[in-house]
Amino acid sequence: MIFSELYSAYYNAIASIISKIIDGEHSEKELQRIVSERAFGESVLTIMPSFKSEKWQLVHPDMTTPITHKPTMPLTNLQKQWLKAISLDPRIKLFGVDFLGLEDIEPLFTPADYHVYDKYGDGDDFEDDEYVRQFRVISEAIRQGTQIKFEMVNRNGKTMYIRCHPLRLEYSEKDDKFRLITAGWHSVSTVNLSKIKNCVHYAGQKPLDNYEWDKKQDILTVRVRDERNALERVMLHFAHFEKQAERLDKSTYLVRIKYDHSDEPEMVIRILSFGPLVEVIGSESFKRAVIEKLKKQKACNLR
Amino acid sequence: MSSYSELIKNFEKIRAYMREFYLYGFKSREDYSKKSARSYDDERRRMESWLGDHMSFVRTPEGKNMFISIDSRSIRHNPFYNAWKAKSFTDGDVTLHFILFDILHEPSVKRTVTELLREIDEKYLADFESPMMFDESTIRKKLKEYCDAGIVKMEKVGRKAYYHRAEGTDISELTDVLHFFSEAAPCGVIGSYILDKAETDSDTFVFKHHYITGAIDSGVLATIFAAMREKRIVSVSNLSRRRDMPRRNRIIPLRVLISVQNGRQHLLAYYPEFNSFQSYRIDYLSNVKLEEVTPRFDELRAQIDAMQGKMWGVSTKRNRWGVEKLEHVDFTVKVDDDEDYILRRLEREKRIGRVDRLDAHTYRFSAEVYDISEMIPWIRTFICRITEMNFTSPALEKQFKADLDAMYKMYGIGEEGENDIQ
Repeated sequence: MIFSELYSAYYNAIASIISKIIDGEHSEKELQRIVSERAFGESVLTIMPSFKSEKWQLVHPDMTTPITHKPTMPLTNLQKQWLKAISLDPRIKLFGVDFLGLEDIEPLFTPADYHVYDKYGDGDDFEDDEYVRQFRVISEAIRQGTQIKFEMVNRNGKTMYIRCHPLRLEYSEKDDKFRLITAGWHSVSTVNLSKIKNCVHYAGQKPLDNYEWDKKQDILTVRVRDERNALERVMLHFAHFEKQAERLDKSTYLVRIKYDHSDEPEMVIRILSFGPLVEVIGSESFKRAVIEKLKKQKACNLR
Repeated sequence: MSSYSELIKNFEKIRAYMREFYLYGFKSREDYSKKSARSYDDERRRMESWLGDHMSFVRTPEGKNMFISIDSRSIRHNPFYNAWKAKSFTDGDVTLHFILFDILHEPSVKRTVTELLREIDEKYLADFESPMMFDESTIRKKLKEYCDAGIVKMEKVGRKAYYHRAEGTDISELTDVLHFFSEAAPCGVIGSYILDKAETDSDTFVFKHHYITGAIDSGVLATIFAAMREKRIVSVSNLSRRRDMPRRNRIIPLRVLISVQNGRQHLLAYYPEFNSFQSYRIDYLSNVKLEEVTPRFDELRAQIDAMQGKMWGVSTKRNRWGVEKLEHVDFTVKVDDDEDYILRRLEREKRIGRVDRLDAHTYRFSAEVYDISEMIPWIRTFICRITEMNFTSPALEKQFKADLDAMYKMYGIGEEGENDIQ
């Protein structure tokens, strides 16, 4: 059963509290801090009071416990089945891990059980040995907080030699690609992993600042006419953005969407895909980009 | 009247609320009049408790509108998973859980129910002011639950049943794996459950174009996967936009279809009553029950394997006598000298069909497809360069062109001559 108290934030918080008490921590304030970290906003109103009132007979009012071992729990069948399922995913090769003890487990799902039908066809080659090697160099450097160096060919065909702090790997499910987000490299902050060549750890002593470029954000405002289920389609399509919606009248809505300025060309075509049911109100520059495309289309004389 | 708790017994109740808050956000308390006002307040309070800073509000003339607004690129873990971690339990459940696993602290420790009960009473509860009282049947029931979950094993020695904890699994090397796949694989919440038990968390990954609402359908999805694994028929309640009440269907689940461009998940299933293949929105399905095993699963799945080459999205068109209805679509785009990326776009974004070069500056996409209307949003992304199109559905082609005219009008293009391209 996927919805079970065995996986609950409360059980995890209680396990952490008991472990701390076994380690010798008896301060209620410190134990409350664990509740705030491991459970929800209002859990402090429940967890410690339940111990103190002896509703849950695991911790005495003086913050001692009859439990003698730090709480642990084996993986459930469901957890093992999920692990087995991801062991069959082609992307697992990036990580170089073995899944021991799952030999007799049936996967929760197999690649034949689902199909992502609209991801792009030119995703990264996760089977390529050099790609996998570089992926591991970069993820190790991210974990260790160390520098890497690599080469890449820029738009003008010129080879660039780069040294940087790798910060994160950004994965796009739509593009099926990883991008590296860096700091300390002043011309670019994001690069497609597939464009990186000869990536190695930088073992030198030369320091590099950790400056991460702030991404410029813009707000797109659109008016949605709720015909042909447009409202739901718009709200779902742009669901992964920070956004706000407001009803103007019975069938018209105003939606504000915050997006990265560098993604504007992609946003323009995403808006165009909704046709006349979505009208751009602002920004002016976004609206101009849409109008420009429509003017060019009109000139195509499509009959 | 029961008092408020941030924990819940039934996930289904909160599922619809979460979707509406996340998706829309322009709904005020009055819009939830179908449910009781108290229910709205409780659900909102729970969501605020689970989702913290991701909940926001605006004041409008209609009242205060709460909404969930998340830039999924800026978060490491899907915040909707918190809802799955809010299952309620009894005082006895939690007390017994930690004591049982303390007694059975390693797989070599084996106890009968009677031994467990004595130890619980004498070693664990005796020092509390009013010790809880458990009986053998409660302990036996709990152990059965744990055996079913796979975390406790039962061994018979003679007529006695001995219980011990299952062997552990080393997850110390899996932190990055769990972080990545808990966001990028179906039913990722299960990975998040495992990650909660790990010693360390991972900062390695962030996700772009990341639809996170599917998380609230993980329960339905997991049951559908179980049905496919066991090749079973299921009965489901299916809510449609066109009906107020859900309809109960018996179907054979064949494949889950996931979109990474609009965040929807569908189930492609065989509907025996009409001898047809149908797609069901997973967020509209509930109360999925496994029924009997079907011998037709492999044959039906082979049929959809063959059909997928004609599906742009999730629609199929095949009548009850097995006759398919296909439509033809083609459109031509012009490409300037410095616009090679358009050809690359066509190649990588087309899911079916073919791209032909007509001359140095013109390319044509063509396909035979079940449902042209599913392709229209994609075709519109080439607005500014579409020079020709042919649909076998005249109504859809006419609609496409009428929509273009409506867009020109909406932005005042060509109205006074000044916006026209000369």
